[in-house]
Amino acid sequence: MNTRKLIVILAAFVLALPLLATKLQVVTTYPYIAGLVEHVGGERVTVHALAGGQWDPHTIMAKPSFIAKLRRADLLVINGAQLEIGWLPPLLSQANNPKVNVGSRGMMDLSRSVKLIDVPDSVSRAHGDIHPDGNPHYYLDPHNMLPLAEAIAAKLCELDGPGSTIYRKNLSDFQSKWKAKLAEWEKRLAGLKDALVIEYHKNYDYLLRRYGLRLLGTVELLPGIPPTSKHIQELEGKITESKVRFILQDIYNSDEASRHLAAKHGVPMIKLPHDVGAVREAEGVFSMFDEIVRRLTHE
Amino acid sequence: MKLIFLPIILITGILAAPVRLHGQESTGNPFAQAKFVPDISLILDSSFVIRDLDDEWFTSLWLPGFSHAGTEDRAAELNETNVEKGFNLNYAELSLASVVDPYFDLFAVFHLSNEGFAIEEAYFTTRRLPAGLQVRGGKFLSQFGRVNGQHAHYWDFASAPLIQSAFFGGGGMGELGARLSWVAPLDVYLQLAVEVLQGDNGMSFGRGGFELPGVSVDDVQAPGLVIATAKSSFDAGNLTVLAGLSNASGRARLSPDLEDKNSTMAFAGTSKVFGADLTLKYLFDSVRYLSLQTEVMSRSTRGDRYDLDAVDGWLGREQRGRQAGMYTQVVARLTKRLRLGARLDLIWKNDVRCAGIRQDLPENLARYTAMGEWNPTEFSRLRLQYTFDRSRHAQVYGIWQREPVHELALQVNITIGAHGAHAF
Ligand SMILES: [Zn+2]
Repeated sequence: MNTRKLIVILAAFVLALPLLATKLQVVTTYPYIAGLVEHVGGERVTVHALAGGQWDPHTIMAKPSFIAKLRRADLLVINGAQLEIGWLPPLLSQANNPKVNVGSRGMMDLSRSVKLIDVPDSVSRAHGDIHPDGNPHYYLDPHNMLPLAEAIAAKLCELDGPGSTIYRKNLSDFQSKWKAKLAEWEKRLAGLKDALVIEYHKNYDYLLRRYGLRLLGTVELLPGIPPTSKHIQELEGKITESKVRFILQDIYNSDEASRHLAAKHGVPMIKLPHDVGAVREAEGVFSMFDEIVRRLTHE
Repeated sequence: MKLIFLPIILITGILAAPVRLHGQESTGNPFAQAKFVPDISLILDSSFVIRDLDDEWFTSLWLPGFSHAGTEDRAAELNETNVEKGFNLNYAELSLASVVDPYFDLFAVFHLSNEGFAIEEAYFTTRRLPAGLQVRGGKFLSQFGRVNGQHAHYWDFASAPLIQSAFFGGGGMGELGARLSWVAPLDVYLQLAVEVLQGDNGMSFGRGGFELPGVSVDDVQAPGLVIATAKSSFDAGNLTVLAGLSNASGRARLSPDLEDKNSTMAFAGTSKVFGADLTLKYLFDSVRYLSLQTEVMSRSTRGDRYDLDAVDGWLGREQRGRQAGMYTQVVARLTKRLRLGARLDLIWKNDVRCAGIRQDLPENLARYTAMGEWNPTEFSRLRLQYTFDRSRHAQVYGIWQREPVHELALQVNITIGAHGAHAF
């Protein structure tokens, strides 16, 4: 008898739990998205990023605890362009949350708000683990943060009408601060125009394009496939022919080959954060780009 | 014979469809459907096996207290893969998945092998149920324990854990039925589920009645099997802990093959299997991890057993069985491409009593497995696995005799098509 009562009370308590949370529950796949949502959502939302900034965004370990987060989300914001393809779909189908299922109002794909580059004409995995919808690392162009923040604000207004005024105010605050920063970064990076660079993975292409840097090649042989000694030799040939300014290395791939190239040819290797939390200094979206600019300009 | 062609026609038809439809689209077909083609993938698994016993002898060996297939099928009853020495085409697995409409998703996995075409899974899941609920219906792998719900290509070893095969067979517990799951709205992951299944598993459960001279046993009214599971997980820094409890309770029928002289036993009763599983996974960085996984399972059976006596014909006695086993495995991912693992399998309890008299069944059935994997990409895998199996026995003049087996298998697993995401 007592056990039955206890079960009823427990069940009522558990079912009532979501009612206690009055703030809009937002879950994002990556930390930079959580950063943007925090700026726009402010006090009215609770944000949680599933993946940590220290991990390879292509191969996040699909932890069951993520399912618990997705289960209670009112809004899920993803990077899209298939960056989450290797880990998010089974989590979503296990979360039993119709609010954030694909096609629901509470599922938002940020890649729809920007123009993707390097969309392949034909796809084949003979070219490695390619991104079939185009390069998904678009958020490393700081100019793209403006349309992303706008899209997030529009979504928050749609889901939480009473907060619209606040969201719009937060957005315009963010926009003016961000625009000031864009001018500053533009000035500081002006000296790098036409500089030749090598990167490990095509992580920073949007950044390079924005500031007029030119990509000579990638350290990895093909997307997701580590370099071979033949490929490194070819890269070395290119390095000796032309003046390479630096080698950009992310923090999660092995930097062995990049270090070898750097040491042998006297080209500096720069480790750049690829997301908020990737390095200690990149605490939010502002400081992430501050840090990227600082590292690129050796200040 | 015709059955062999069916999968081939199916695969070529389906894989060709997007290309063909795409062509039509470019010429302006107003009814083009290419964009609705489901996610399709094909997984090929083949191997080369070296074993120190010849195939016929190996196949006839028993897992005492668990095997009941005829002489020719005993190895296949426990393992669907790597059965023969030399080359094996273990399977080609064709899977299709898509959203159906705003209310349902559909998944289907077809298992194609030299034995024919099998629907390994074909089920729908709901998309819109409130309160963290989901219903799954059709044919699907039960989520009992840790390994049963996984397809073979997700396993960390070329073979299923011994206790898993002993209780549920080489193909695992894949049944017709329905499943209701609920995810708790908590910070920690907690999932509760109930499955109501037909109960045709064959190793631990069954429905078909039988007629023996002087004995008549009715069919079990379906559904004959109910499974309940609870799974929970939390993270502590870079360590993820996943634990589960499972219980399967159902009716059992084991009918003899009256054509087969070696088929001298029948059973009708009930069977209960309990399982507990624990997985610990520690991530060092984006590439390297160390995982420890263990499952303990126990089974109790109760009912009437019938044995064919050379003099008196079929004799019925009450049977009670208590059997238990476990496995523990450690797997380390050292680089993006290299994984190493070791597993210990042990069945330590094999207590079966007929009319109160304990049967002389060997206990301490052990198996030791080590593997090394080379994964050129996520889509291709080479695995070398060594197994020292001390669980298989021969029956010589009614006495069980252990037959140690050494086995080396080189397995190749290749995936094309849709990008399969990795579940934890
Ligand atoms: Zn990428």
